[in-house]
Amino acid sequence: MPGVIEFVNVSKEYKSWFPSRGMVRALDDFSLQVEDGEIFGFLGPNGAGKSTAIHLAMGFMRATSGHGFMLGKGFGDAATRRRVGFLAENVALYHRPAEQLVRFYGALNGMRGSSLARRAHEVVEALGLVSDARRNVRQFSRGMLQRVGLAQALVNDPQLLILDEPTSALDPVARVSVRELLLESRKAGKTIFLSSHMLSEVELVCDRVAVVNRGRLVRLGGISELLESRQESEILARGVPPNSFPGAISSDGLVRFLVEATAQRSALQRVWALGGEIVSVNPVRRSLEELFLEVTTANSSDAIGKGTT
Amino acid sequence: MRTVFLIASNFVREQRWPILVLLLWVLVTCVLGLMADVRSDREDLLVIFQQLPIYGIAFAVFIGGAAIHNERKSRRILAVLSKGVRRGEYISGVLVGIVFALMLYGLCMGLTGTWVLGQGGFSIALLWFLMFSFLMACVLASAVAVFFSTFMTPLFATLATGLALGIPFVMMLQFGRDWAYLIPVYLLLESFVKATFSTPWQPDWRPFVVATVEIVAFWLLASWIFARRDIAVALD
Repeated sequence: MPGVIEFVNVSKEYKSWFPSRGMVRALDDFSLQVEDGEIFGFLGPNGAGKSTAIHLAMGFMRATSGHGFMLGKGFGDAATRRRVGFLAENVALYHRPAEQLVRFYGALNGMRGSSLARRAHEVVEALGLVSDARRNVRQFSRGMLQRVGLAQALVNDPQLLILDEPTSALDPVARVSVRELLLESRKAGKTIFLSSHMLSEVELVCDRVAVVNRGRLVRLGGISELLESRQESEILARGVPPNSFPGAISSDGLVRFLVEATAQRSALQRVWALGGEIVSVNPVRRSLEELFLEVTTANSSDAIGKGTT
Repeated sequence: MRTVFLIASNFVREQRWPILVLLLWVLVTCVLGLMADVRSDREDLLVIFQQLPIYGIAFAVFIGGAAIHNERKSRRILAVLSKGVRRGEYISGVLVGIVFALMLYGLCMGLTGTWVLGQGGFSIALLWFLMFSFLMACVLASAVAVFFSTFMTPLFATLATGLALGIPFVMMLQFGRDWAYLIPVYLLLESFVKATFSTPWQPDWRPFVVATVEIVAFWLLASWIFARRDIAVALD
């Protein structure tokens, strides 16, 4: 079954008119599939190729090789974009009153009349812009502009939302409301493709994440699956001497220590052998930040192979 | 069609200051018409009036030549093209926007000319024919400029448009009148520039036919090229 967004062996090279400036390969044989109804986190350091991938999907540029699909149609199909909401990084909008601007973008998507006016008001309200709806966006702060950008992305009630750094300029309160909005959208069956450097947020809302580095996919999987794949467990025991296990910490009569997954059984047996009692055994969850640092600082040869989905 | 109209009206809105400056020249002509003795100074008034189309052509070339690049540079084009808008519709919207602005200018020029020159005995039918020629010349110039702007920076697009419009004129001077039909902007403006109070209305429709074909050709070419351009890359 085709994904909502699908990249198939996509490469993108930027060539300069001047040979001395050389060529930059922004995406290198990149394959990825985003499933229906999920919040998909798209991560990578600056210059990794995230925005290039998004721009290719939106049809803003053409792949050097490979191809892709969005909602079942090839990248760049205008009719398909009517079912998509897009927020660019560093959003740039025309200078108009906020609600009027949202109506303008809705009209470009074929909406009209009272349904457009009603929907524009709804999204402006949902993003906390009602009191500023008649103010020209020229006077807006970056955070407010970003909210207007989100409003224009949501005005057509899109089936797929593609958001490039949607919360980077928002204050914590606005960030929480955007997070709730994303979760509500998922509940309503929409798919969200979220590119962000806010790893804590990605960890909170995303079902799956992909990490790209130097134009290649280096990690892909469900959040819990990726974060629990450290192959270590934390064992909490009672009634054993702390020095029985290397690196063990003792507090309130409890001893806490880490063991490799392969050594878990023998560690448990040793606790019992020492007359102790097991309180809990938990797989160690690393943070998304740790995973991100691990995979983006590793050699690019770690890239996931061709056709990975 | 509605999409084209939305982009066009938005373009006019974004270019409102240059358009107002353009209309200022018409206002100056009005003021001169009020201050001068129309009967005795009618030749002077005609000379001033004959300068007005040059500003219109300049507007078409400069605004058309920068239209695409400026929108890309400001990144505002991304929000527009992320909607259900085809590249061809976007180019059409920009062109129609320029035409809207120039129609407004042409209308104001025509009304002013009818009032000021009409009092001096200038043929009103000829005047509106000249307005039509002017508008056609402007649409052709803007189509050429927008075509170049799809793959050039504003400076080069403007220079290229200037050359494209000027070379047929130079060729005409060197090799004969037929060369002016290559891109007939000069031919469309010639009757305007050479009009006198005694000029009879004898329209030559050939430049209009050539211009119409070329407008469509440049529009299609611009759309074709723009559809194949990456719009979200570094511009420098």
